[in-house]
Amino acid sequence: MRLELTVNRDPYRREVAPDASLLTVLRDDLGLTGTKWGCMTGDCGACTVLVDGEPVVSCLQLAQQVQGGEVTTVEGLGRDGELGDIQAAFVRNGAAQCGFCTPGMIVAAEALLRHNAAAGEAEIREGLAGNLCRCTGYNKIVDAVLEVGRARSAAT
Amino acid sequence: MPELYVPAQLEDALGFMGEHAGLALPVAGGTDVLIDLRIGRATPKWLVDLSPLEALAGLAFDGETLRIGALTRIRTIELDAEVARRAPAVVEAARVLGSVQIRTMATVGGNICHATPSAEMPPALLVHDAVATVAGPDGERSLSLSELFSGPGKTTLENSELLTAVTLRAPKERSGSCYLRQTVRWSMDLAGVGVAAAVETDGAVVTGARVALCAVAPVPLLVAEAADAVVGTELTTETAVEAAARAAAACSPITDARGTAEYRRQVVAVLVARALRIAWLRATGEWPAGVPAPINGVLSGEGA
Repeated sequence: MRLELTVNRDPYRREVAPDASLLTVLRDDLGLTGTKWGCMTGDCGACTVLVDGEPVVSCLQLAQQVQGGEVTTVEGLGRDGELGDIQAAFVRNGAAQCGFCTPGMIVAAEALLRHNAAAGEAEIREGLAGNLCRCTGYNKIVDAVLEVGRARSAAT
Repeated sequence: MPELYVPAQLEDALGFMGEHAGLALPVAGGTDVLIDLRIGRATPKWLVDLSPLEALAGLAFDGETLRIGALTRIRTIELDAEVARRAPAVVEAARVLGSVQIRTMATVGGNICHATPSAEMPPALLVHDAVATVAGPDGERSLSLSELFSGPGKTTLENSELLTAVTLRAPKERSGSCYLRQTVRWSMDLAGVGVAAAVETDGAVVTGARVALCAVAPVPLLVAEAADAVVGTELTTETAVEAAARAAAACSPITDARGTAEYRRQVVAVLVARALRIAWLRATGEWPAGVPAPINGVLSGEGA
């Protein structure tokens, strides 16, 4: 079936299987492998992307239901080769260990901070509850998100 | 691999499902359906994409009732101040369902129609006397939400029918509700036991009450005899405990990874009393507006 959507501000048009997930389209058809293939049951959050600005687990998102929609993946959070603010904070805080959960974590954090830049630690932990880090490196992840939240709050 | 049918309007979807009776599976948010397809629990020939039916999404207040369209996202309910004011149990159930990502995708209609015994929304809706509106080839019909469930994963919907909305009764003056649950993990877990309660009061006296349970029976359970135990009384520890004991006697939990049947029954007996208490505090104005209940119902200064 024909699928048209915008990913990271670029328009795409592809023929995809009727039951294809957004995750397989992003990775296999568009080559955007920043979004990770994790549990495929919506539990781990490694495949988190934004659809029209809201966070979804792309493994459970029927691609056809995003017809005409606007998708943002981790590749879309930086600009002109520069890291986005959350990506840079993850680097500064050592908030990545093996790195597999990191793209989903960063996209989920972007959604969280857009909703509430002043989120405190408890709100961040609750907001990222759908993203599992099997290295259990949560403290530095929370630190990084807190840092960006403070910076964004100060800038507005 | 199933084919995908994309209807332009509700009538198209109903007609298609009637023509392909038993072979067409509706997809709303997809968070249950895509898993069912992947593990082979569902093997439809057709998927029917409900997402174009935008008229079925959204909240409508008419001053009295609250109509929740079947395609309303759980996240929309979680964040709605008017739902929080009228039906706090519904918001409390919504905010513990899955993750932000799952809530952003999942719909209230999907949560109901997938008929998972542990689904969070049904007990919260049941204590607000939710009426289900169902569309079929011959038009609409209404039934109480509890009549929609017939077993784990099973509803009384015909092949050619779709749930289009649930409607909650107008909140009375001095009423309150609450949803509590027991889980192994605090986030990203299914309810081991879920309990919703609602009370209406006149002064300190309870004039009406509802108690509903999930994850402790094949279907979500409205337990009238539990609610009756507190009606006509000032809610005391004794009457709340009596209601809770009746609820525990009425349920029929199973033993699985989330707890033994006996444990679940004991948790019901504890959570029902706490849920009634919090609903009563809300009804009598002693609970601060807009503050969610602690999810296990333990109030500060009290032991677990």
